[in-house]
Amino acid sequence: MKTSQIEGKKSGISQPTAIPEVAAGMAAECGARALLYRLLSAVFVEEASAEFLSAMRTPEMLEQLAEVGIGFDADFTAAPLAELVDTLAVEYASLFAASGGFPPVESVRLYGRYRHEPNFEVMQTYQRLGFVLQPGRHEVFADQLGVELMFIAELLERQAEALAKGDLIASRKLEKEIKRFWSRHLGRWVRGYARLIERAAMHSFYREMARFLRGFAEEEIAALGLHIEDADGARLEVPKAEVQEAADPQKPGCTSDAAPPGRQGIRRLQDLRLPSVPD
Amino acid sequence: MMEMTKLNRRTFLKVSAATGAAAAVAPRLLKAMELELAGKDVSPVSGVQRKAVPITCHFCNIQDGAIAYLENDRVVKLEGNPEHVSTRGRLCPKGNSGMWYSYDPDRILYPLKRVGKRGEGKWKRITWDEALTEVAAKLDEALKEDPNTIVLKYGRNRTGGVLDRFMQTLGSDSIINHTSVCESSKKVGMEPAWGPDIETPDFANTKYVLNFGSNVLEASYFHNPLSQRVAEGRVDNHMKIVTFDVRLSNTAGFSDEWIPVHPGTDGAVALAIGHVILREDLQDSEFINTWTNVTVDELKEHYKQFTPEWAEKISGVPAATIERIAIEFATTKPATIFTYRGPAKHLYGSYNEKACMMLPVMTGNIERRGGYCLPRGMSWPQPKPEPPKPAKHAYMNKHHHPLYPLASHGVSHLLPFHIADGTMKVNVYFTYQDNPVYTNPGARAVWGKVLSDETLVPFFVSMSSHMGEETALADIILPDCPYLERWEPESMPNSLWPWLGIRQPVHKSLGESRENRILMRDIIWKLDPDGSRGMRKYWEFKDGEDYMRHHFDNIPGLKEAGGLDFLKKHGVWPIYGKLDPRTGKIVDKTGREIRAEYGLYKKELSEEEMAGAIIDENGLITKNGKAIGIQRNGKNYVGFATPNRLINVRVDEWAKYGFNPMPTFKRIPWHETMREDEMILTTFKLNVHKQSRSAAVKWLAEIAHSNPAWINTETAKKIGVKTGDLVRVESKVGYLVTKAYVTEGIHPKAIAIPTAFGHWEYGRLATLKLKEKKPEWSHGQEDPDFNNVWWDDKGVHPNDIIPAIADPIGGSQAWFDTVVKVTKAGPNDKYGDVVADWDRHVEAFKEGLRYAYTGDLHRKMHPEMAHWKGPEEAGHESEGSHL
Ligand code: SF4
Repeated sequence: MKTSQIEGKKSGISQPTAIPEVAAGMAAECGARALLYRLLSAVFVEEASAEFLSAMRTPEMLEQLAEVGIGFDADFTAAPLAELVDTLAVEYASLFAASGGFPPVESVRLYGRYRHEPNFEVMQTYQRLGFVLQPGRHEVFADQLGVELMFIAELLERQAEALAKGDLIASRKLEKEIKRFWSRHLGRWVRGYARLIERAAMHSFYREMARFLRGFAEEEIAALGLHIEDADGARLEVPKAEVQEAADPQKPGCTSDAAPPGRQGIRRLQDLRLPSVPD
Repeated sequence: MMEMTKLNRRTFLKVSAATGAAAAVAPRLLKAMELELAGKDVSPVSGVQRKAVPITCHFCNIQDGAIAYLENDRVVKLEGNPEHVSTRGRLCPKGNSGMWYSYDPDRILYPLKRVGKRGEGKWKRITWDEALTEVAAKLDEALKEDPNTIVLKYGRNRTGGVLDRFMQTLGSDSIINHTSVCESSKKVGMEPAWGPDIETPDFANTKYVLNFGSNVLEASYFHNPLSQRVAEGRVDNHMKIVTFDVRLSNTAGFSDEWIPVHPGTDGAVALAIGHVILREDLQDSEFINTWTNVTVDELKEHYKQFTPEWAEKISGVPAATIERIAIEFATTKPATIFTYRGPAKHLYGSYNEKACMMLPVMTGNIERRGGYCLPRGMSWPQPKPEPPKPAKHAYMNKHHHPLYPLASHGVSHLLPFHIADGTMKVNVYFTYQDNPVYTNPGARAVWGKVLSDETLVPFFVSMSSHMGEETALADIILPDCPYLERWEPESMPNSLWPWLGIRQPVHKSLGESRENRILMRDIIWKLDPDGSRGMRKYWEFKDGEDYMRHHFDNIPGLKEAGGLDFLKKHGVWPIYGKLDPRTGKIVDKTGREIRAEYGLYKKELSEEEMAGAIIDENGLITKNGKAIGIQRNGKNYVGFATPNRLINVRVDEWAKYGFNPMPTFKRIPWHETMREDEMILTTFKLNVHKQSRSAAVKWLAEIAHSNPAWINTETAKKIGVKTGDLVRVESKVGYLVTKAYVTEGIHPKAIAIPTAFGHWEYGRLATLKLKEKKPEWSHGQEDPDFNNVWWDDKGVHPNDIIPAIADPIGGSQAWFDTVVKVTKAGPNDKYGDVVADWDRHVEAFKEGLRYAYTGDLHRKMHPEMAHWKGPEEAGHESEGSHL
């Protein structure tokens, strides 16, 4: 299966100088974060494959997600795999790939149209850092959510590699790049967009993964020490009517929506340790 | 040192009064770059010159020369190509907005497969390979049964022959166009008369224009190049323009006189003008006797019946006005007329068109500077080899319908009735740049019903870049490219200078969209991967550019200039001169405006051309069995492109089918029996929209997004409505509820509703579904741009309540003949209600067939053709509708 759209060229960063235990801890964290980025990238970059969904439905994974407040409905947990693949492919098309949906594309979210400034800016960033965008199962824009997340995953993996070698300079450079990318791109649209998808999704898989994305984005922004305004057009405040409805205890998996956006129910990043996900 | 006087702001400003002259002669080294007319553009932010790619605009079908300016590989601006002889550097507002097709967030970027019910809006994204495999399998099945069960209907086809190649490769004759909802009766009114299907009025050099039902400044064919020339004629040449129209369009408003006519009666007015000209002996006898197939005496005799008093009774135009205008027109030289498409879109539109056309003919204003000129165009060869024509005729196609044998451009709008009655069996239905579910008479009540029915249309493939009302019903959508991402050959007679042009992709197509010729090639390659089925050999080209090379690299003149490479650089060939930024005209090296060539029919045949030619007793020159010219006064001319090389005032072919071969007029029978409280519904276009595909374009939707119905003040008073009130408009097939716009600018018996509004598909902007909040997740866009949408009125579409009726000669839809009752809306009527009924549409369709040459009302409508023996005279085979 081809899901990885970003291919890295050899990083030229080197010069190891570090205290090995600290660096190893940092490297592990980078690795863990990279996995989360990869996971989220796989959710949004294209339709979920049977392999990916199987991995997502392992008891271990469900348990870990439940621990951070992510709870899927039976439409995800109980559906036969083949049927689930199909249902989610339709949901994916409705939400992200067909006319009338919500393209997960930064240019659309921030400029209302495809192929605008963010598309070229991220393309340049990818190039500058030695990446080229390859088509996966389908062609995607450079500023597609899944690709932007994948890019950070790549950087984090490089950072982990640098740290493993004790190269703190390279690691700092990469961290700067990540911060810059969040400030200029992901941070500007991904929280509002995730909130929109939470409301728009018909299937609990996309609803919950959008919640996860939102919480994760907020945590990352906080962890990176950034203050970024969410410029996405989706409403920042959930209207009262929806809060009441979402807070309905009869509706599993939605309870945390009643809380102010982004905090309650989402645990801090370092609490999350997810098994690796096939890409 | 001298100390400067203390100056306050007032004193400073006083000083400025004296500086005018000095400032005027001060050197000016800076100039706003956008004022340059050199096909260049710069970014206002970076100052960097933008990449310029010459293209041919295809927002609408005028085909203006344009330049796409790119920054960062993205189109940031579209402008007119200053090297283009017709466009002369100017685009209309639509042309300036064309990039929004490419970047529209509702654009279809991937092959989609329907998963819910037809039209439910549930899709699955599939790969191209999956899509092509499925389409090829369905085609295979259909081919086994009958290739003609593969139907392709197109709306706008500028592929330069690709669609025909595709259908011929499959061996199917079922290729259907859209021309009958457009201008087919204009074409059929003109072609047998003088050859081509359109005219080029020389507005810039004329002194007098009779404009019959055309809104040339805003919406008619060639409106961008022609409106430039209308303005020049008016300003530089002091021409007079008289407009006959039921509505005070912007062209009528610009005219010296607006003469409101009773809907559908322009033809009678034109005949009466002809009557006065002939009665007063103001005709150009020499031209008539030399260049037409009738004599002046025959014409005078025939026109005696069309008196101004007769026309006044029918049209409401005072006889005295007709007399005055006739004399003005005949005595002012040069003069021309223009029709688009008012006269042609009626039950007998072809008669009306011909009646109008006779005016420049009888006054000898043909092919003269300032007159009514032949269209100029260029053609290109097709890549070889070409597939043969299909072996078997389909029941109907783009040139043929058995009940409308003179309708040489087809009667496409009757297709759903023939699918429903089984005369057109469909296994696979393709659609390309078409949207009849919105644009055709009956709209969703007719086309929507048939295309939703899987028993009638078992497999439906839409090749489209946008989710129009029709595409929303498809089983498979193959994402086509918008015009800025396509290769296409072009030529359009939109001025007096012929040209060839191209459309070329300004950048890589977005997502996975493929331009049509590639997409069709891929279907054929899937069907015939190794060439063993004999299909692949017609599709052996690498890409769109390769295909264009076959068209353009060997055209004499262009070849020497560089062939396709020249077109890639300039967008158009030839380059006739340079655009003078002062006058906006094309000038030669000496600075003089270039001159068109006139009198094309009087071009003499060369000795070489005459070698081996035969001249018959009428002067017709034939060579190898083909008419090549006509001898007149001892000279061998090329003449007109008709079989007898003359203008045929009398069209004998029409008589064969019981139609009057001479200029005539027929009242619409159901207009004669209209009740006092009934009116005639007409539709029109605004300058910022085209029929169906523009409502999703942001800049344009903001300018015009709703369409209240124009009602005359007097009429409005009678029914008790004022501007903004809701009215119920009811025809025999349904009703709608819309808002009234009360104005003096419309005939009291007409109600006019602009089209391009009231979409129920075509994306977020066209439908405003976010504002409706139902259901919020689908179409519930919340992109930031949508916050700028300050309007919540998307208008009401009228086509559902317009029945499908065809001109028995030209096959055109009688768009402007629908009788409606307009009343103040009742308590249960809601704005936007549209209710129409399939059964009633079928009844109306059957009623329309009674006017066809095989129908029982045909003879009744033509008492003057009592000698006609009936359909047997034309060798009629009984093929009909079984509905
Ligand atoms: S009239 Fe306007 S939209 Fe049509 S081709 Fe010309 S510029 Fe383009």
